[in-house]
Amino acid sequence: MSISLRRPTDTTPWRMSRDRFLDSPTIWALLIGAAALFLLLLVGYPIAYNLVMSVQEVTLGNLPSFSRPWVGLENYRQLLADPLFLLVAKNTLIFTIANVAVQFVLGLGLALYFQLSFPASSFLRGLVLVGWMLPPLVIGAVWKWLLGSDSGFVNYALQGLGLISGKIYWLSDPSLSLLAVTIANIWFGAPFNMILLAAGLAGIPADIYEAAALDGAGPVRRFVWITLPLLRPTIYALLSLSTVYTMRAFDLIYTMTHGGPLDSSNIFPVWSYRMSFELFDFGGGAAIATAMFALVLVVALAYVRSVNAERPM
Amino acid sequence: MSGPAPARDAMRRALVPLRPWLLTLGGVAIAAVYLFPVYWMVISSLKANPELFAAVPTLYPHAPTLAAFRWIFERENVGLYLQNSAIISFSVTALTLVLATGAAYALARTRTFWTAAMVVAIMAVQVLPPPLLVTPMFVIFRQIGLVNTQFAVILATTTKVLPFAIIMLRTSFAQIPVELEEAARVDGCPRFIAFFRITLPLARTGYIVVSSLVFLLAYGEFVYPLSLMNRKELQPGPVGLYSFVGADFADWSDALAFATVFVAPVIVLYMFLQRRIVSGLTAGALK
Amino acid sequence: MKRRTFCTLATAGSASLALGARPARAATTVSLWHIFGYSTEPGLINIARFNASRSDLQIDGKSIPFGQLSQQLVKGVATGDVPDLITIDNPTVASFASQGVLEEVGARVAASRILAKDRFFPGSWATTISQGKQFAVPGEVNTLLFYVNQDLLRAGGLDPAKPPQTWAELTAVAAKLADPAKGKYGVGVSAIQTEEGTFQWLPFLQQSGASLKTLTSPDAAAALQLWVDWVQKGYASHDILVKRQSEMTDAWLAGNTAMSLSGPWELPRILRDVKFAWTVMPMPVREGRNIHATALGGYVWAIPKGARNIDAAFQVIEYMLAPEQAARSFAGGRLPAVQDVQPPTDLPRAEVYAAFEGQLQYARPRGPSPEWPRISEALQRAIQQAVTGQQSAQQALATASATIAPLLQRYPIEGM
Repeated sequence: MSISLRRPTDTTPWRMSRDRFLDSPTIWALLIGAAALFLLLLVGYPIAYNLVMSVQEVTLGNLPSFSRPWVGLENYRQLLADPLFLLVAKNTLIFTIANVAVQFVLGLGLALYFQLSFPASSFLRGLVLVGWMLPPLVIGAVWKWLLGSDSGFVNYALQGLGLISGKIYWLSDPSLSLLAVTIANIWFGAPFNMILLAAGLAGIPADIYEAAALDGAGPVRRFVWITLPLLRPTIYALLSLSTVYTMRAFDLIYTMTHGGPLDSSNIFPVWSYRMSFELFDFGGGAAIATAMFALVLVVALAYVRSVNAERPM
Repeated sequence: MSGPAPARDAMRRALVPLRPWLLTLGGVAIAAVYLFPVYWMVISSLKANPELFAAVPTLYPHAPTLAAFRWIFERENVGLYLQNSAIISFSVTALTLVLATGAAYALARTRTFWTAAMVVAIMAVQVLPPPLLVTPMFVIFRQIGLVNTQFAVILATTTKVLPFAIIMLRTSFAQIPVELEEAARVDGCPRFIAFFRITLPLARTGYIVVSSLVFLLAYGEFVYPLSLMNRKELQPGPVGLYSFVGADFADWSDALAFATVFVAPVIVLYMFLQRRIVSGLTAGALK
Repeated sequence: MKRRTFCTLATAGSASLALGARPARAATTVSLWHIFGYSTEPGLINIARFNASRSDLQIDGKSIPFGQLSQQLVKGVATGDVPDLITIDNPTVASFASQGVLEEVGARVAASRILAKDRFFPGSWATTISQGKQFAVPGEVNTLLFYVNQDLLRAGGLDPAKPPQTWAELTAVAAKLADPAKGKYGVGVSAIQTEEGTFQWLPFLQQSGASLKTLTSPDAAAALQLWVDWVQKGYASHDILVKRQSEMTDAWLAGNTAMSLSGPWELPRILRDVKFAWTVMPMPVREGRNIHATALGGYVWAIPKGARNIDAAFQVIEYMLAPEQAARSFAGGRLPAVQDVQPPTDLPRAEVYAAFEGQLQYARPRGPSPEWPRISEALQRAIQQAVTGQQSAQQALATASATIAPLLQRYPIEGM
């Protein structure tokens, strides 16, 4: 790769000051600033809006104006006192952990598998991404049918294979509904994991593996001592993103079970939506949203620590 | 060459020609299992409604019919929906890449309190689902007079994908050694130009991944178009899907036919670009 | 019926939509947010006809998916970007009105010839009144009947000409025809945890002789136990807990349920897709009580507060409820809210439409109460608790009653 060298005759005063500018901290500020401003305006404002709503008593009547009665932390207190709170929190925790873990393992497995060179490997890998193109309404509907107790294909196949004797009430049994939406969400999220890990794997130079093989390291050792450490930045980014995205999963669950039956598959984003738009308790809905944001800050802080620990290569 | 025992070696060598095809078979099996729900969607669009809900699910349509497809083309201007979806998705992808590139590079190369704070903020901000953000966003767009335009939808959808793009590109850039750019600088090339000549090409993998995923995310976006635009002729596909889902019932073969038609162009696009994507992904190795 | 009816309706609709969708001159535009998504919706045809017939006034309609209606209205209210006219579900009028979101229309309605009170079904009219003031005008209504698969009845050795008249008979027929292992069920209702579940179960409560005030009575428990027994004994599918009414009808259309409870909105697609002999039958009464009660659904026309063209919006309402427009409802699987319009006799299966019309005299509104969302939610919860077996019917209803009683005290509901 050749770098264009500057010839002495190229350095005009304008070019020199331009280059000084391009090397100065100002340009950093501008680069970050553009994106930051964009996000601040379009996302920061809604977050602040939600935050403000969460400490007010908001009804449809006073929704348009900003001067609504101040209630301090009352909405939060009511939230914690709500009998549903523990259930929804538990569901969110289980849902998030199961999704992140299983999606990661599945994604890693798929990425490693398709990394091997065989005919059509990259085509097939891309095919797995097709699920992402579908609108959530369709994904939710299809999974709702596949998991239907009566005419659903999953039960039919399981019965046909002799694995179960009766029907499984995937969606209508409160003890199983969370599992059902988890399965659907894992299906949806694993390709995302796969493709990010595949990109990370592709960034590892082949010579390192060759050198290790020369030294007698078997595939498992190579994986543990070379692949994983080099993948670390990608893995941290992926796990953090995966956690955040799982915590905001809304469309799929809302379409499949509406959070039910009896809130057995209700997680924070779904609860927040229902509170705001079905019960018109906007203060409560906003409080949940703000709480979600606070929880995720923890994840974000963990991510930033991992970033700062990155040794510059 | 020191290494495995000769016998094992010989066996491996014998299996070598067979191995790739076995793996392909495995790959096909994996893709098939994985795509089963999509397959279900497509065959369902070919079934008449009652067969969709037969007590014994049918793996292929027993009486395939294209009636649903004919119907959706008759009834709705499917081409217009696809066009709007394409406009919005491509624009979102372009805007996201432009905004994310600068920010991601800056965040990869500098390390101050403020950059760390920004990474935290970007990561955390993604947790709020669009339905909760759309009302205040609408207020903003109304203030700047952008309601009812596709531009507003493009901006709103970009906020949804921008954090992801920044984080992924930051990771990509961070993996490119600063030394390469320093070397260029020593030779008199300013960092900015070095970025375009050296860094960017090396981050190709990241860009390919980010642009594909961002495009797909924008393609399926529904809440923002519905909330920010009133005019039907501006709406993208996912909103059009709802015209087949009425208040009291949904005509599923029609809805699924529409969904099939909706994703088909993207699949075709992918098949065309597949070669370039492959070469991009495998060329990422550093030398 | 064949696709052709649809095609004609829809092409007429879309052709006129293409004609009238964008106002040619600088006419006053009435922005209308409606729930007419599907092509057979008579509302869409009426909008197109209105635009074609008027030059001074045009409707700019935006179709909103029903599930999004609440969110969009909230967003509209929050941002001051409300339409001039909106269709809302009838039990929500009181809660929206009590929060000051709707314009009062009583005076205008009183002054209107077309919107005379005696034209409307009383139950439907009642839903538009909150705290003595009128906030909406009924649009279209619907009610519930059991759709019966006559072939399945005959195959089970039963006479389709003699439908079950009481709960006991209904249960007996369901028992005979159910074969859960094969995915066949005798009866289908929707027990989903949304307003649809309340919509379906409330008539059973009312027919048992109980009311919202007497949820802890044995009558109320019997009404809920009926559903519990159906599911536990396998006469109805376990999935009724998560299925909407239309999804239950899907199973009926596929020949998996013998008798399924649903409304007239299913008719267009039933006529198109059904492959067996079928009819409708009224909801059986409870033995010994003989109370006829059925559900009253449908939407109403409302003008949000802050709408800019109130008079124009009102003219649109009057147009929609004129006999000519109202009569179009039937072909789209809807029933007009006005009583003086009869279903056209040339409609396929005209007797079914007549049957639905006939039920409207027994149809009881939900509420009106500003607290209806919470009341409904308590009922939905009780239904789900009992049907999943997590609580007995009595316990579940006792819990619901604890929530509902104070709400009823604050806002008493006439007749509930």
